[in-house]
Amino acid sequence: MATQEELLARMTECVVEMEDEEVVEVAKEYVEAGYDPLVGMLEGLVPGMQKASDLYDAEEYYIPELLICSDAMYNGLDVLRPYVKKDAMGQRGRVVIGVVQGDTHDIGKNLVKIMLETAGYEMYDLGRDVPLQDFIDKAKEVDADVIAMSTLMSTAMPGMSEVVKMLEEAGIRDRVKVVVGGGPLSWDFAYKIGADGYSVTASDAVRLVNNLMDGKPVGPNVQ
Amino acid sequence: MNTSPCEMSPMERAAAIAKGERVDRMPCNPNIANGTARILGCKISEFNTDAKTLAASQVASYRRFGYDSVRIFTDLFTWCEGMGAKVNFPEDDTADLLEPAISDIKDVGKLRPVDPYKDGRLPVHVDAMKYLIDEIGQEVGCGGGVVGPFTNAFFLIGVDKMLKMIRKDPEGVHALCRVSLETSKNWAQAVIDCGLTPTISEPMSSCTVVSPKVFREFSKPYLAELCQFMIDRGKPVTMHICGQTNKIWTDLADMGIAAMSIDNVASITECKQLIGDRCKVLGNVDPGSVMYSGTPELIRLKVLEGLAEGYDSPKGYMAMSGCSLPVETSLDNIQAFMDTVTEVGYPVVPEKIHAMIEDARAKVAAQQ
Repeated sequence: MATQEELLARMTECVVEMEDEEVVEVAKEYVEAGYDPLVGMLEGLVPGMQKASDLYDAEEYYIPELLICSDAMYNGLDVLRPYVKKDAMGQRGRVVIGVVQGDTHDIGKNLVKIMLETAGYEMYDLGRDVPLQDFIDKAKEVDADVIAMSTLMSTAMPGMSEVVKMLEEAGIRDRVKVVVGGGPLSWDFAYKIGADGYSVTASDAVRLVNNLMDGKPVGPNVQ
Repeated sequence: MNTSPCEMSPMERAAAIAKGERVDRMPCNPNIANGTARILGCKISEFNTDAKTLAASQVASYRRFGYDSVRIFTDLFTWCEGMGAKVNFPEDDTADLLEPAISDIKDVGKLRPVDPYKDGRLPVHVDAMKYLIDEIGQEVGCGGGVVGPFTNAFFLIGVDKMLKMIRKDPEGVHALCRVSLETSKNWAQAVIDCGLTPTISEPMSSCTVVSPKVFREFSKPYLAELCQFMIDRGKPVTMHICGQTNKIWTDLADMGIAAMSIDNVASITECKQLIGDRCKVLGNVDPGSVMYSGTPELIRLKVLEGLAEGYDSPKGYMAMSGCSLPVETSLDNIQAFMDTVTEVGYPVVPEKIHAMIEDARAKVAAQQ
């Protein structure tokens, strides 16, 4: 029988190598062997997607490759998810996520969503080109702990600032943490609009949200 | 004939430059796109039905700023719409794809190339081109936008599906590109018949989207055929591709293009060195963070930096924004772009530009 390490490595490899069918078999073998499904997600599938993002940054992978890697990861997640203990899934908090109005680039948002989901957050995905009011309405409806907004377009950035203001006007700003991400953004921008945090990468987003939930310090110089 | 606010009309300027004479400034184009609606004072949705308004907005914008090319082009979806895709038309913003023409690649055989005089909004664009060339065709180069075959194919089947088909169903991608090519050619012919010059937008071929290998396999054959179609009819090819394009510049120059319009993430210097001896380089002031969000001082600096890099490109350089300007870009910012090119003058004196850059840097620094 394959060891847990071997199966984790194979899941990672399936995601990186775009084996979106084989990954299902490997994930099945993994859970049938009785290994921890959450470890399978975090140490098998997610690192594959991280490697795929690295290859994208290195201009070895492009959007079509990244999409099939993400399909492979989702296919693996679909196999593992039913085996995750209820108290581990969605127990870290509730996150409303979306790409702000004026922008339809959602690959980054989808990666962050997957990362946070696998890190134990319950995700409410509003999709892309999201009207600003929807963030507030959904946050109220599900009593969200975090609102996560992204954009790749500098023209859509002012919308993020609007959402922060709208939360204040709705009187719920202190009940929800606001985090932002996307190509043209920075910590400076996050501070300027009164958001609680910013992250450069999807895996940083998990660290950021975890720290915010645990009341730990965050910022450009915090690891 | 010169109804522009500048000393010379674009055609007078180009003729004088060709003769080696001194002119008021280098040719330039801030690339205003649907923002022309703000200058004419109409809603962007009027462009979908009213050819006179579409042409009039281009004329109004040209007469306000005097830049060196005008074009009838509203969005990337005019052609896929003509082939059956559904498009969302906001009252006062740029159109967006709602639903692709087919949902299953099995139906690719049902797709027909467009008839420019019948399908979707294309007849409106045909009439707008006629109005445009009647009104200002004697003084400024008039273009008609056409989307490249590969990009149009994405909108026929849906962007996500097409991205996956590149790996899973290469034959399906080729089938979509083939019918798209016929659409592009039909449209290019209509543009030429109206007396204008087609300009190609091929954003999905960007190295920011697909690899150079994928470009060469799926986009290049069809794009090259479209370029040759125009060249055979005596028309120079201007190519715009968003995002990074450095790895496919040589492929594009091989197609015989006359001008390459690059986005702000690409480098003017690198483009000049690689293909500047074969085509004109256009670009590349950042349309978002500089033209839309920046101050006139920052715009001056960025236009100057572009001119300093590009002015000596062997086949010429034209200051331009990296991509279509956001609709709400302020007219003051656009004026700052124009004024900077005029301030530099022509012939370009490099020492003068460098002194101006020093000055502009100091002014931008003082604002921060």
